[in-house]
Amino acid sequence: MAMDAKLVNPFIDAFTSVFPQMGFPAPVRKGMSLKDKIANSLGVTVIVGFTKQLRGNVVYNMSEDTAKYIASTMMMGMPVPEFDAMAQSAISELSNMLTATAATNITGLGLEVDISTPSLGVGAGAQVKISDEQYLVVVMDLGGHPVEIDIAVSS
Amino acid sequence: MEKVKVMVVDDSRISRMMIASMLAKTNFEVCAMAENGAEAVELYREARPDIVTMDMNLPDADGIEVSRRIHGIDPQCKIVMISAMKDAKLMMQGRLAGISSFLQKPVSTNELIDTLLMLCQDSVGAVSIFRESYVPSFVKVFQDGLAQLLGLKSEISITHEEDSVLHIEGVAVIIGITGSPKGRIAVYMSTETMRRFAKTMLQLSGDNGEVSDEEAEATVEECSNIIAGRGVSKLNDVFRDREMRVTPPGTISGSDIRIANPELISFDIKATTKLGDICMNVGFSRGV
Repeated sequence: MAMDAKLVNPFIDAFTSVFPQMGFPAPVRKGMSLKDKIANSLGVTVIVGFTKQLRGNVVYNMSEDTAKYIASTMMMGMPVPEFDAMAQSAISELSNMLTATAATNITGLGLEVDISTPSLGVGAGAQVKISDEQYLVVVMDLGGHPVEIDIAVSS
Repeated sequence: MEKVKVMVVDDSRISRMMIASMLAKTNFEVCAMAENGAEAVELYREARPDIVTMDMNLPDADGIEVSRRIHGIDPQCKIVMISAMKDAKLMMQGRLAGISSFLQKPVSTNELIDTLLMLCQDSVGAVSIFRESYVPSFVKVFQDGLAQLLGLKSEISITHEEDSVLHIEGVAVIIGITGSPKGRIAVYMSTETMRRFAKTMLQLSGDNGEVSDEEAEATVEECSNIIAGRGVSKLNDVFRDREMRVTPPGTISGSDIRIANPELISFDIKATTKLGDICMNVGFSRGV
């Protein structure tokens, strides 16, 4: 299952188009690398799966602090001292929006895709195996908060 | 869940019997049968069924006219028209008479049940629909899968909690479901159970070699993938046109991990086995 570089842009484009709409500063791409099979959770990981002409998973991986910052901004600046059920729901919904937008972008490449509901994992030290082979890591900076997108999809 | 009462209106005794037998093993209960329009109206008043299946050609009136009369008694009634013909004009007239759905003869069991389920979901609630119609398929493939793949006997218990959070001490294999409804399956167990699971699956006994945690995870992942795939294909056999598919698995391991799916209605299916508890959580998105 080889990762196709052209499948990365739909995810980055989704990131850069969705966040500003919700009042975030424009995200900046910080780096891109290849990793093997397993991602180490930064604290909060959201997995969303793909089927049809593209199969695989995407994982949004961030620290709990970053997750709280995102949830707070999504909720119009409401303080989020704990990563509670409401904050989890916000991150889950955000991941759904990002992935649905990426899926629409991928459809623009001529590939029919469908996405699953997001699964949100909380707990530092978790390991997430998302691929049997290599997967692509894109680090995005969101107002000083890093978010890692782990992409393991292939046609 | 309470039985959903169905009244069957058809002038042919064979047709009535066929519909009744299709519904025999389901949560739908045929509470009345009518062979003509006048009887249908009278029985509707007495039996107050949740759903009516309506034939088009009746000896004393057509199905649309009878539907209009029933709709006059109860504007909330749910009527499914089952007729040999199904064209746009008939459907338009039927909608105006209060008919909710149209099926063409011959009707398959799947089509009929699927249509009735969709119609009654407001009244019985999505939780009951998932529990009664979706979860049993997964229970069966889970139990069969453990028996076939590992030779494991299991005792099954099912729980449903609102907005449940899974606590993982070990491993969880997450497999997404796309289509309608969307959802996800999570198979999870402790690290110790995972190791025993892998050794049993790979038929390794005490001094017959050890298995690394990475291999053990891969084994659990593969079995989960097989079971989830079978479960979803079983649902596709029953509910057509839903295009349900499974995503490739993602596997989370570690200790004190919580997995949340805020938007899902989920059911925890626990298999108690001699290797330890093996759980499969099946969740579906609200709103089919």
